[in-house]
Amino acid sequence: MKYILMMNTMKAGQGVPNWPQKDFQAHIAFMMNLNKDLREAGELVSAEGLSFPDQAKLVRAGKNGAPITDGVFPESKEFLAGYWIIDVDSPERAYAIAARVSAAPGPGGAPLNLPVEVRPIMSGSPPEMP
Amino acid sequence: MKYILLMSGRKAGVERYHAWSQQDIAAHMSVLQLLNKELTESGEFVATQGLAEPREAKVVRGEKNGLPVTDGIFPESKEFLLGYWIVEVATPERAYAIAGRISAAPGPGGVPTNMPIEVRQFAMYGSKSQ
Repeated sequence: MKYILMMNTMKAGQGVPNWPQKDFQAHIAFMMNLNKDLREAGELVSAEGLSFPDQAKLVRAGKNGAPITDGVFPESKEFLAGYWIIDVDSPERAYAIAARVSAAPGPGGAPLNLPVEVRPIMSGSPPEMP
Repeated sequence: MKYILLMSGRKAGVERYHAWSQQDIAAHMSVLQLLNKELTESGEFVATQGLAEPREAKVVRGEKNGLPVTDGIFPESKEFLLGYWIVEVATPERAYAIAGRISAAPGPGGVPTNMPIEVRQFAMYGSKSQ
């Protein structure tokens, strides 16, 4: 069963760029170690981090099919910060991995306790809408 | 440059989609399949996935002892990821143009859905994919 684990942040106050270098490195080392464990267990499909929300654009099709881009988002919007796709035997295993992601260290080494959204991936593609 | 194009929606929108006619769904899917085929032929296609319904989503946090705490209750206003495309393109403008095509995919009665598509670049510190 394939699942996606999504780590979301708010645009305001997500603050990662302002963490001390040492805390940021500890956070990344934690994530690399998690990815290594998942890879060795044969459960990792992919893991990616996204660039910061200030580079995000929202695109709609104009009447002539040309893209209309917008970079203004409501303050309340959640942004995807990164995700893992895993292939596991049970939903409980997906939740256990999500809990490990949630416990990643933040400033001063304290666990961030971030909420991690866990969703099954549909077996067929392309995506369903809307 | 690798970009992820994110299609999101709220629960109410997903419920409306279930009321689309079979014919409208088929027309919508065929436009997206054609896009996937073109992106594959141009060498820009990396991956696409549809996610399972929001009602199957869980949010997970790690407890003090590391055990997962799961919750399935979300505010009605929450945007859920419905599906995504990962593309590898030469310019951001090309990523916006592809997002514009997705936004123009037909909805009920063949009218473009004009759904907003969020375009995000992968973080520069490199891909963690296997």
